[in-house]
This record gives sequence, structure tokens and C-alpha cells, in this order.
Amino acid sequence: MNTAARSPAALATNGTPVFHVRGLTKVYGTGTAEVRALAGVDLDLHAGELVVLLGPSGSGKTTLLNQLGGLDIPTAGTLRYRDIDLTHATEEQLTHYRRESVGFIFQFYNLIPSLTARENVGLITEIARDPLTPEAALQMVGLAPRLDHFPAQLSGGEQQRVAIARAIAKRPAVLLCDEPTGALDVKTGIVVLEAIQRANRELGTLTVIITHNAIMADMADRVIRFSDGRVQSEQRNAAPAAPSTLLW
Amino acid sequence: MLPHLDRKLLRDLKRLKGQAAAVSLVMACGLAMLIMARSLIHSLDSTRAEYYQTNHFAEIFASLKRAPNDLAARIAALPGVATVQTGLAVPVTLDLPGIAEPAGGLVRSLPDFGAPELNRLFLRRGGWLTPGSRGEVLVGESFAVANDLNPGDTFTMLLNGRRQTFRIAGIVLSPEYIFESRPGAALPDKRTYGIFWMPYKEVATAWDLYGAFNHVVLTLAPGAAAKPVIAELDRLLRPYGGLGSYGRKDHPSHIRVSDEIRVLTILSIGFPSIFLSVAAFMTNAVISRLLSLQREQIAILKAFGFTNRQIVTHYLKFAFVMVAGGVLFGLLGGLVLGQQLVIMYELFFKFPDLAFRLDGTAVAIALTVGLGAVTLGVFSSVRKAARLPPAEAMRPEPPASYRPAYLERLGLKRLLSHSFRIAVRNLERRPMQALFTVAGLALATALLILPNTFKAGIVEILDFKWDVVQRQDINLGLVEPSSARIIHELAQLPGVTSLEPSRFAAVRIHFQGRSRQIGLRSLLPGAMHSRAVDSANREIAPPTDGLIVSAKLASVLGAKVGDLVVVEALEGRRPVKSLPLVGLAEDFTGITAYMELHAINRFLGEGDVITGASLGLDLSKRAEFLAALKEIPRVSSIAIKETLRKSFRETTAQMMGLIQSIYLFFSVVVAFGVIYNNARISLAERARELATLRVVGMTQREVGAILVIELVILAVLAVPLGLVCGTGFATVIVSSVNTETVRVPLVFTSYTYSFAIAVVVTASVFSALVVLRKLKQLDLIATLKAPE
Repeated sequence: MNTAARSPAALATNGTPVFHVRGLTKVYGTGTAEVRALAGVDLDLHAGELVVLLGPSGSGKTTLLNQLGGLDIPTAGTLRYRDIDLTHATEEQLTHYRRESVGFIFQFYNLIPSLTARENVGLITEIARDPLTPEAALQMVGLAPRLDHFPAQLSGGEQQRVAIARAIAKRPAVLLCDEPTGALDVKTGIVVLEAIQRANRELGTLTVIITHNAIMADMADRVIRFSDGRVQSEQRNAAPAAPSTLLW
Repeated sequence: MLPHLDRKLLRDLKRLKGQAAAVSLVMACGLAMLIMARSLIHSLDSTRAEYYQTNHFAEIFASLKRAPNDLAARIAALPGVATVQTGLAVPVTLDLPGIAEPAGGLVRSLPDFGAPELNRLFLRRGGWLTPGSRGEVLVGESFAVANDLNPGDTFTMLLNGRRQTFRIAGIVLSPEYIFESRPGAALPDKRTYGIFWMPYKEVATAWDLYGAFNHVVLTLAPGAAAKPVIAELDRLLRPYGGLGSYGRKDHPSHIRVSDEIRVLTILSIGFPSIFLSVAAFMTNAVISRLLSLQREQIAILKAFGFTNRQIVTHYLKFAFVMVAGGVLFGLLGGLVLGQQLVIMYELFFKFPDLAFRLDGTAVAIALTVGLGAVTLGVFSSVRKAARLPPAEAMRPEPPASYRPAYLERLGLKRLLSHSFRIAVRNLERRPMQALFTVAGLALATALLILPNTFKAGIVEILDFKWDVVQRQDINLGLVEPSSARIIHELAQLPGVTSLEPSRFAAVRIHFQGRSRQIGLRSLLPGAMHSRAVDSANREIAPPTDGLIVSAKLASVLGAKVGDLVVVEALEGRRPVKSLPLVGLAEDFTGITAYMELHAINRFLGEGDVITGASLGLDLSKRAEFLAALKEIPRVSSIAIKETLRKSFRETTAQMMGLIQSIYLFFSVVVAFGVIYNNARISLAERARELATLRVVGMTQREVGAILVIELVILAVLAVPLGLVCGTGFATVIVSSVNTETVRVPLVFTSYTYSFAIAVVVTASVFSALVVLRKLKQLDLIATLKAPE
């Protein structure tokens, strides 16, 4: 992938961030059973960035993704998506937020088995405001020839690419990927990462990938290392690598 | 300490308590019904058998005009006869201060000294007759209770026209009158008809029958058949005006109890078997679907070294808890309902002690059926899971294979929304599961039809049939056949608006070796009162030569219209004649034959006589009418239609109504159970898929629509099927419940169907609401994790 083709805006880290996170805390349970999954996260995420959130399991990165994706409400701290205060949003507002602004990619694809690839994407484009056509979205992930296949007829990598097409079809402002290659072999994983990177570049979507696999850090614009519920360090890659060059 | 696997069991049960309870409840309904009905049969049957044995109930019965007492020795000498007992049975008229209409009854004689050999009485209250005393009487309990008569009270009877006051010595029961009713009447009229027992000498003196008998009962020697004895007895009694002898199976009181047992038997087979199959369906579905959700857990257990046997045992325990709940509640329900129904039975069956007796076999059947149903469910599904190698099972199940639904392949694809497509394809992918659900739902719907059909039939009898067949207000019976001139006398009574003469004769009707002793009733051409009507409620015109019989009688005899049946009169000159069957009357109680009035008289070789009359009455003059009627000594009985209708309402109708209400309640429970369970399981199976849809931005409403569409599709398929099946079940069961005593017409009302639909719709809406509420609690974060 030619990084020179990227729009300068995508790399801009100044200006208003898409996500503004300060002192974000998430506590599960009470008393002795209390678990602090997030212990005061400070973070800004900007439009067009491809961010890899790196951390060992149990570090709280998935919890952070849940908060960013509007799947969960933080215990304390500030979490703003543009003008929306996600810390105090209602269930309805959260649904609306997810519907309009967020694309999810799961480790286990989570396709609807009773719908074809095209229909899985169509399900979302039906309810989105300014979507790509399902065909265009699937074309972008290289699945044009398999439009009418059911999930059972697709390989794991193909299923994950349908999931990516589903996530990007609504042109979300944010793409959240939780271990997107966790259930895939290396070769297939690379194809999937290429699809994610391409969506990030071509649509200018803020993309957050969480993983415990440090090798993926090389493809990011910015790498955030996470442990014990906190951001430990940040690192900017001047020249993000193409997924195909990653060495597993 | 509880083994860990059992702790898992308890927690799983706690988590699935709603569904487990639904399965237990449906099973409990079926089992309660089975246990209730079988135990009632057992109670009635065994109580009657013991009563008969303890009180020496006779096996052959005969009435005659009059025979000398020494004929008894000749009867006793007949081959096959064990014990003979002769006596008197005479009609009496009563004069009770509290009752306006003439009351009547039957006086039976008792030996002057000592207890009777056969048909011994059971003393409920008071004492026996004092030997050698006069003016004492024993009174049957039904009449005594209805009229608040107690030992020591006195009342007046007209014995053979002579007014006499009697003191009540005791209140008794007789195995001959477990069901006490006026002869020929299908319904009891406890207030105006009673049975009384007096010493032979007193009865014989009053009727001038001393040294004679007009009633004989006997028992058979061990191994003797009833039929030849009856034939011999008839031959012997013919010269003495024998009215035809009959065995227990034709004994009116015996028939009533047997009919009730028959009804219960049919209900105890038909109904519970439908219920239990629904329960089995449900249990099977719940367990197999639950187990497929536990696929990974089974794999882990196997990986840890648990054997297949241990795993199967674990899930069997899970199922057995549901069965245990079902059996326990079924047993409790069966006991409570059975006891309630026994109390109702006491309303019209008089036993010394009718106690509820639990039928052990029914409990065993219940347990076997319950265990069988779940064991089958567990084995088929656990085996599938246990057969997988652990590593295979621990991996998430590959996405299920789907294909476009049939509707889409028809080219309707464009019309279908995504939600609809998901729902339809999901149903089509597992046709067996959809079929099972549809079958369960259809059965639940079908169950709702039967009780209301029964109820509608009873309402039809009470509100419609009764008035179509009998349009008069009152039936009068005369002491003996009289000249038609009495009509003029009766017509003068106050309040009489219309009057039609009637003729009744006891006959035996024969067809191809089958026979029944019945009443032959008269019809008048163009009658305004008693009529014979066909199944479409059209009047059947009485032919001048030929017989109309109850449709039930024709089917009992195996005769059809056009056949020649033999009618043998049991009174007068006892003529015998072959008559063509010209019509079938759809009457609803008893079995009867009808002939034109003059044709009956021609057949009997008698002149222009009548034995009664039917009257239309201005009800505002009822009291005056009844007072005036008491002055006409030739009137022996009066049947007021409203009184009979009330009696029917309070006995047969109430009984059937109660049973049907219980069944209806059970049916509603089953409908709810089936629908609720199905919705809950659908939700559980698809939790991940639905949560994903929520995560990617669909609203609760949109996601709920998928489940609701599925529920609606299933219901739309199942309900019409259920209505059709229910109509079928009801037709079979209602028609087979119809007995010689009472027949419930098959009436399908729009209410019956709307009720069934309404229950299914309500249950569906309720279940949908529960599911939608549960959708709110769906764990969205779980979608990010590996599938369970």
C-alpha cells in the first residue's frame, strides 16, 4: 500500500479530536470483588488515524473499546465523541450513535448466518443514512465474486472480510476492531488487515484495532501501549508498514 | 457436599427456571387430568362393586302384574338361579305440605321380619322398621334431603287412594337406586319423586296384593349366564303379566353409573393423551435445544475425562427434575380436582361412602410417560453432543448452513425485509424443529376447542333443544290408561292454555338379536307439544304405520331407516309386531321410540285411550293449577319442564361444566406454556446473533421484530391447523361421550373458535413482551467474546 496516497487531513493530529478521553474509569463489582478495568485513561483520537491499541490480555483494552463503541457506560471520567457526551448517553442515544457513527469488527465475525454476504451488508445499509451499496462495500474488501454466498459457504477470512464490508458500508466515522485476526491464520490475517487498512485510507475512517500482537503495531499511524487499565506509552510511526510486509 | 456437576445442574435450573417451570406445568396438566379421571373411574367402579357385593345387589330384575308367592319356588328352580327374592313395588302419591305440585314415588316392600336376602338397604340415619309395626316407613336419602325429612318426621301418602300418615323410621340408601329417578325419566327429580320402603304386609294389604308379588329379583349361580335365565324367567312370568326381565346392564341406576364411567374413560384416554403428547413434544424440544446451547460445556466435560455415561446422567437428572415437578404437581392437582369432583358426584349418585380413591396405576402410567418423554429427549440430543470429539466441540460451531427461503425462490424476494428473511430462513433451515413447534402450538390450540364445544352442546340442550323437542310446560301421567274423555276434565283446570293427549307404553324392541326395553311414546300429527325432530331440528311427521326411534337407539340396535324392527308390548295383551323404521329422532336424553297416538292404540289392541297429557300453562296461574290438580286422583305424576331443566342444569350440566372448566383451564396453561417456551428458547439460541445486530446499530424494536415475525409465522401456520384438529378431536370425543342416558349435540360456535384464537394471541403477545423485555437485558459485550 502506498502511504503517499493518503490525504494529509487523515494524518492531522491537531484540531478537534474525534474522541476526547480524560480520566476514564470503569469499575466492575463492589467491595472486595471490585475490579478496576480502566484506571484513568487519557487519550485523544483523531479523524482518519489508524490506531493500534496494544496490550496483554486483561489490560483493559477491550473494556476501553466497549466504552468507545457505546456498548457500556464508564464509571467516571470524560468520554466525548465529537459533541456527544457518551458518559451520560441514554440507551436510545447509544443505539443511534452506534447506528450512525460506529463500525464494529469482531474477533468471531458475528455474521448473521441466515443472510448472504450481500444481505449481511444490506441489513446495515438499509438503516444507515448515506451508505455505500453492499456491492461496493464488498468490492472494497475483494469479495465481489462471493456476493450471494451464505456465511457457511465462506472461509474464516472471507467471513471476516464480509464483517469489514458490513462495518464500513455505512461510512462510519469510527471503525472499531477487536482482535480482527485473532481467529485467523497468518496469510488470511494479512488479507483482512489489508482490507481494514484500505477502508481506513479510502474512506478516511478513524480506525482503532485492539490486539495483543505487537507485530501489528508497524501498520499503525499511532501505537498506544496499554496495561493495568492505563495508557503506558504512545508512539507515532512516520511510515506505517503495509500488512503484507508484517513479519509474524 | 454436593458434587460439582450437581451444583452446575442446580445453577442451570435456576437460570432456566421459567422454561423448566413451563415444561413441568404442561406435564402436570396432562398428568393431573389422567390421574383425576382414572382415579374417579377407580373410585366409582370399586365403590360400586363393593356396594353391590356388601348389599347383595341382584343380577336379574323383573316386574309383573301379579303372581302368587309360591311361584318364587319355581323361579328358584330355574337352572342358573341362585337366590330369588319377591316383593311388591307400587306407585304412591304424596301430599307434602311444602310442595305445590303432586309428588309421587315408589313404595317397595321389605320382608316383615328380618333383612332382605337381596338388594339390602344401607341405613344412613335413624333406625330400621320395628318388626310388626304399622305406619312406619324408610325413605331414600335423595328425596329425604331434598325435602328436609328426618327420622321421626311424619308425612302423608296416598296408598291406593287412601290417605295415610307415616312416621319416618330411617333414611336409607339402596344399591338399586344409586341413581334415583322416576322410571323412564333421564333426569332425577329429587323433590317430587322418592323411593320408600315398608313392610310387605302393609303394602300388600293396602293394594290388596296379599300372598302375591309384582316384582322379583334374583342372583345367578356361579358361572351361569344371564341371557338364558332371563328368557326362562320371561316365559315363566308371561302368564302373570310379566313386563320383561332384564339384567344389571339394563338396570336404569346401573346404566347411569356405567355411563358416567364410560364418559370418564373416554375423557381419561383422549384428553390426557393429547396433553401428554404436547408435554412430551415440549420437553423434548426444550431439552434438545438447551443441550445444543451447552455443546461447548459438554466438550469441556469430556476433555476433562468425564465419560459419555456421566454426561448423559447429568442431563438426565436435569430432565428428571422437570418430570419430578410435573409428576408432583400433577399428582397434587389430580388429587384435589378428583376430590372436588367426587363431592359433585354425590349430588346425583348415592353411595354409602363414595370416597376419592387414588388409582395407583394412573400414577405409574403418569410417571412412566413423563420419564419416557424426557429420557427420549435427553438421549437423542446428548448422544449427538457426546459423540463429537472434545476438540471439535470446543471450537465454535461453524455457521449454520442456510439457503434462500422458498418464498424468495418463488420470486418474492424483493417484497421481503431483512428481518423477514432472517425469520423465514431460520424456520426453513430447521424444518423439523419448526414442525415440532407448529405441532405443539396446533395441539395447544386444538385443546382449547373441546371444552367449549362441550359447554356449547350443554347450552344448546338447555336453551334450545329442550324447547324444540318439548314445547309444553307440563307432562301429566295417569294412574292407568283412561278414556280420552279425561282430556276435557284436565282442560278445565285453571291456567291451561293448550292440551294434547299422550300415550306411553313399555315395550321391548328387537333387531337382529339385539334388544332394548324402552318407553314407546305417542306423537300427534301437527302436534304443538312433544315432537320428534331430526338432526336439522325439523319435525318428523308421525307416520300412521311405522316407528320413529332415537338415533342413539337405532345405532345401539344397529338398525337404519327402512329396516323392520320387532316391537313387543310389555303390557296389556302383549302384542308383537314388525314395524318399519321410518325416522331417526335427535333427542338428547334417554332412548325412546315414537309412534302416532292412534297407531299405538291400534298396535296394543286397545280403544281410544291415553295414559297422560301434555299441557301449556299460563305460568301466572301455576299455583292455582297445581292446587286444582291435587284434586284429580287419577293423575299419578307431573313433570314440570322448568323443574326438570333446573335439575339437569344442577346435575348433568354442572358436572360436565365443571369437568370442562378444569380442562379449559389446563388447555390455557398448555397454550401459554408452549408459546412462552418456544419464544424463550428462540431467544436463547439466537442471543449472540441478536446482540450483534444490536451492536451494529439496530434498535431493540428492529431486533425484536425478527423474533416476533418468527413467532407470528409459526402461529399463523399452527392456529388454523389447530382449529381443524380441535374440531376433529371434539367431534370424536363428544360423539363418543354420547350415551344412552344423555347426548351432547355437536355445536361449534364462533365463540369457541374466537376463544381459542384469543388465548393463542394473548399467549403470543405475552410471550413476545417477555422476550422483548429480555432483549433489553441482552449482553452486548458478550458479542465480542468467543461464542459460548
